[in-house]
Formats: sequence, C-alpha cells, structure tokens
Amino acid sequence: MSDDAQNDPPKGATSRRALMLGAVGASAIVSIRPALAQTAASVVTCEIPVPDPGRAGNYIAADGSLVPAGTHGAFAPAGKAFKGEDVRIALGGGQLPGTSYEQSRAYTNYIRRLQSGTSGFTCFASLQMPRG
Amino acid sequence: MPDRLYRMERPENLRVAHLDSFTAVYHRNSGITHLITAPAPEILATLGEAGMTFTALRETLASAYELGDLDDAALAARLDELVAAGLVSTA
Amino acid sequence: MRHVFSVRIGPVGFRIGSDWRAPIAQLESLYADYPAPRDGVPDFNVRLFAARPWRRFMRPAVMIGGDFVLPEAAPLPLAQGLLAAEMGMNLQMALGQRRFLLLHASVVERDGRALLMTGISGAGKSTLAALLGARGWRLMGDEFALVDPESGAIHAFPRLVSLKNEAIGVVEAGVPGGRFGPLLAGTPKGDIRHLVPEAAALAAMDKPAEPALILFPRFGFDPAERDVLPSEVFVRLTQASTNYVAIGERGFDALTRIVKTVPARAIDYPDTDSAIAQVEALWAAL
Repeated sequence: MSDDAQNDPPKGATSRRALMLGAVGASAIVSIRPALAQTAASVVTCEIPVPDPGRAGNYIAADGSLVPAGTHGAFAPAGKAFKGEDVRIALGGGQLPGTSYEQSRAYTNYIRRLQSGTSGFTCFASLQMPRG
Repeated sequence: MPDRLYRMERPENLRVAHLDSFTAVYHRNSGITHLITAPAPEILATLGEAGMTFTALRETLASAYELGDLDDAALAARLDELVAAGLVSTA
Repeated sequence: MRHVFSVRIGPVGFRIGSDWRAPIAQLESLYADYPAPRDGVPDFNVRLFAARPWRRFMRPAVMIGGDFVLPEAAPLPLAQGLLAAEMGMNLQMALGQRRFLLLHASVVERDGRALLMTGISGAGKSTLAALLGARGWRLMGDEFALVDPESGAIHAFPRLVSLKNEAIGVVEAGVPGGRFGPLLAGTPKGDIRHLVPEAAALAAMDKPAEPALILFPRFGFDPAERDVLPSEVFVRLTQASTNYVAIGERGFDALTRIVKTVPARAIDYPDTDSAIAQVEALWAAL
C-alpha cells in the first residue's frame, strides 16, 4: 500500500489496543457516490431525495428552504426519493405522489433550489426547468 | 465460509491516504473512493496479500487486539462489506 | 450562429454563439475588460439557439447548447439570455472540465493565499466573496474553485458574480461603485443580478494561490465556529465537486492533499458584517 502512516499496534505489546467490530447493521465504509452519476441515465429513472442525505436532519419550509427539525409549519423529510418523471409532473403543476398539496409544494420548491453538487441536482437539471 | 481465503486487494491497485479516524482508499480498477474506519483498516492489514481464512483472521485479530465480546456475525459483516467494495477478494 | 462572443476567464476560454444579438451585447459590455481566449482558441463552446426557426421572433425562447449539454433542459425567455449564457458556461465547466479538480466554492485571495468558502445554496458564498472582494481581498471566483491536481494551487476563475434575491440588495449596499449587470427578475432561481469583479481582480486572474483556509458558512444563525475534521471535509468537498469522480486518481490525490494540509472550519453567522469579522479573525489566527 502506498500508505502515509501505519496504524498497526506494536507486536507483543503488553496491553492490546481495543478494536470495535461494530454491529451487524453498521458500516465501516463510506463510498463516494458520484454527483453526476445520472448524467447519461434515463431521466425517468433518475431520483431526487428530499432533502439531500447530507442534510437529513432538517425539515422543509413551504418555500423549499431547509429549517431545523420540528419548525412550526415546515414538513418532515420525504420518506423516499422521488422519481424524475414524478418530479417533472410536479414541476408542471401536478402533485408529488404520496404527499398533500402543501407538502408537494414545499418539496417542489426545495427541488427547484437544488444546487450543483447536491444529490439529485443532475436529475433535476435534466428535467424541464420551471418557468414560475 | 470457513475454508475460503480472504485476501487484501493487491497494493498496486490501491492508493491510500490516512486522514484521521478515517482512511481514504482509491480503488484503481473501479475508480471508486472509499473512506474506511476501524476495524476495516486493521482487517485489511491483518489479511495482507497472503490472505487468511475467516477462522485465522478472527484468531489473529483476537490476539492482536482487545476485541471485547467477539461476534462472528459482526466480523462477517465487516468482511462482506470489504468484499463488496472490492478491497478484499475471496480466493 | 450569427452573433458571437469569445472570452477567457482564468485558464478557460469560451466561445458563445447566439441566434440573438441582445445577450451577446450584454456579454460584450459586462466582460469588456476580460481577455480573449489564448491563441483565439476556446476550450468550450456555448450555443444560445432557438428550438424552432420561428421561436427566434415569436415568444423568443433561448435553448442552451454547447459542447456539453443537459438533455431536456427547458429554454429561458430572451430577457434572461444573459443568464442562459452564464448557465451555459457553468454547464461546460461542470460536465467538461478535466484539467482541474472543480469545487463548488467561492475563492478570495490575500498575500498569495486563498480562502475557499463552500456549502449549500443560500449559505452566502457569493455574497461573502463579493463583499470581501471590496474589502482588500482579491476575488478569484464565486462559483468554481479550480484546483491544480499537480501543484495543489487554486487557479482563479473570476466570472461575473451571480447574486440572487436578498443578496442583491446586500451587495449593492456593500459594494458602492460596483458595476452590476441588469436585474433579471423571475428566473427559475428567483431574481438574479451579476456583479463585475473589480479591475484588480481581472488583472490578476492568471495568478494562482495556495489554499490556506476552507470555510463552510451557514447563514441565519448566531455566530459559532467549529473545526471540521479532514474526513468530513473530504466527503463534503466530493459532494461539492462536479468532476471528482471523472478525473480519477488525480482527483483523489488533489483532494487528500487539500484536506490533510488546509485547515477547515464551519461558521454560523447571522449577518454579513458578523461573517466578515469572523473571516478576518480566523484568517489572522492562521
């Protein structure tokens, strides 16, 4: 390995370093997912999580901005990511599946505000951009 | 599972940078970057290129580290993860 | 393309062709003090075109094309043609840039060292960069930080600063004498107005800088600061990069070098005056 520093304990040391194996359901690996993985993929099957997994603790206000969890009048995160096709319909005035009218509007506003670098930006950018 | 040999991916296929409690690993064949944390780096170092069976790995880790309540299922989960990421191969 | 405009921004040259004169006229005016592409050869082409011949005249709608495109992107009204050109250039960089590692961040420089500010939209990256640029810092860019994978240096990419909604008023007040483009109201991202970087920033656009501090600003909170560990900086910067994966091992080497050598802080701030004070204090403490 072209390693910068070693983590091995000294062999034969009288006290051993503790090592946690973790739970079965936990993970010791974070794999970097490309933000533009969906550029070449079908628009219909690409997905947009609401909100971006990096901001999972936040709620979504009516105007689509992220606010602290539990903020009055704001909506909890959507339980699942939305398919590109559903988002396209919502951007055109329809409603996201499984959401109330206000929820759908808040989520749609969140999606409109997506910026380059967040998950789902490419999916969003490859959809019809909203006019209003 | 008992007889399978688990080996670390060949060093020339990896580029490694130690950051903090996480180590960044670039897997050349897949082009994917993984950030790994304990016990993954320790498992990789223990397996080495020569590789080990599950039983040998468990025993080597138990003698080198204070593992507390050693859980075979947890160790298997950590190994499976490393295999899925391409950082460990099964002979 | 009957109307053409070419410009160099830092190390990247663009050629923009348009079916309409108006956006080109605006680009010529706002980018008047920028150089031309090196040897006249652009790195990327952007096309502003009408989807159908009659759409040049009837409810004219600007489609964004170029060397790199996003499928099924909707057109913009002609009044927002300048925005279409800017988005077209962003798109070429986001999808086509391979020489530099791109980070979605604003960059300002002082004494040869660069401050990078990165984070989600609305965090204040462009606003703070514009204000610092008028307070003794050199603006190197408000959208993309270009990291040279071989040297680790940041190369300037000082496009027009893109200000949205409330930020417009803040920067108009904070940069008196600043040169602004037209107010583009009602765009998909709200109201937008562009600020031309100061002459000194344009004159120095070929001078790279060593990254010295990375900030993750968050607007609308009481002042607070915390250190950000290298592993967290690494993950957040990959999320802020459009080409980290595409440039492969060079990206890995560039990014690991940055997170191991450049300190990073997350700062919360309630208003821009507070943010600027926090930035100055953190910089002085380096």
